[in-house]
Amino acid sequence: MKTITNILLFIMAVVITGCFEQHDSRIHLREEVRSDSLVDNIVIRPVVHAFSALIGEGIEITQALTRRNDAGFLELHVNGYNRSYQTKRFRYRVEWLDEDGLLIESKTSVWLPASAMGKSPFSLKVVAPTPKAVNFRMDTRKWE
Amino acid sequence: MKRTMLHLIMVSSFLAAGCVPETENIDIVHDEGKPVMGLDYRDFDRAASELIQSMLGSGALKKQGGGRYVVATGRIVNDTMQRIDTDQLMAKIETGLLNSGQAVMTSAVGAGADKLVHESRELRDAEEFDPNTVPERRTLIAPELSISGKIFQKNVRYGRNRQQVEYYFQLKLSDVKSGLRYWQDEVIVGKRGSNRSVAW
Repeated sequence: MKTITNILLFIMAVVITGCFEQHDSRIHLREEVRSDSLVDNIVIRPVVHAFSALIGEGIEITQALTRRNDAGFLELHVNGYNRSYQTKRFRYRVEWLDEDGLLIESKTSVWLPASAMGKSPFSLKVVAPTPKAVNFRMDTRKWE
Repeated sequence: MKRTMLHLIMVSSFLAAGCVPETENIDIVHDEGKPVMGLDYRDFDRAASELIQSMLGSGALKKQGGGRYVVATGRIVNDTMQRIDTDQLMAKIETGLLNSGQAVMTSAVGAGADKLVHESRELRDAEEFDPNTVPERRTLIAPELSISGKIFQKNVRYGRNRQQVEYYFQLKLSDVKSGLRYWQDEVIVGKRGSNRSVAW
């Protein structure tokens, strides 16, 4: 009897976990929107959130791509992920460099606001101020 | 007694002078000062940066067959409760366009017109001026594109003691000859704060 109960519990766990994973990866269902599961439910969630805050999870940049658009301007596309459970608000500033590696003075190189929701990917797009830009450097700072 | 009073006055004046906040220069590039309910230079910097990037990224300024567009600054309406010189925004936008290498701004017409461009043409019959140095007729270049826009404000009550102030920066780029609009965008700057803060 005990073995049957264990097997049933195991099957239920597998089914529940399986149901939780089955969705299109392009669609992000947030906590309290998607169905609860064994690893994400009203009991476990506060513990996981507290642990995430304790270890200081934050923003991670996964990719920085540049491409020249049709008008000849370099575009920077930054993709990242917010590992924290909290919405992270921050500021970023992109400076553009010419082919000699020298800074291009620009009215667009100012601190701009950005935000990423908890456990979510985010993207930023920045356009160079002149076609002379061939490279960039980006800085971030806390939202005051 | 009189001497004690004098000492007290001296000490209190020294203390009062010490309490006055010191004047400090703002680090314009990396300002970490607190936000204000009204519009400050950081809001204009942000709006101008986002609007320039949007305009350049759209490809609206890429001229068929090469060359640069001649752009005039049209009317920028200030519909906020603040006394704003719209040049605070437009000077940045114009600088951004000029630096892009895809447009030249005209000072002949529009909001950015330079009176001297026309005054110098009135010197054609003046005997004091060398006629070869006076601009000839039909030398001004008409604008091909025009930038116009609006800055407006909306105040919303946000709870009993708080208010929300929304500032909208809207710009559009139109072809002067055809009247067609090539580009337009909007940047919203939102602020929440005490009801006691004045947003004008």
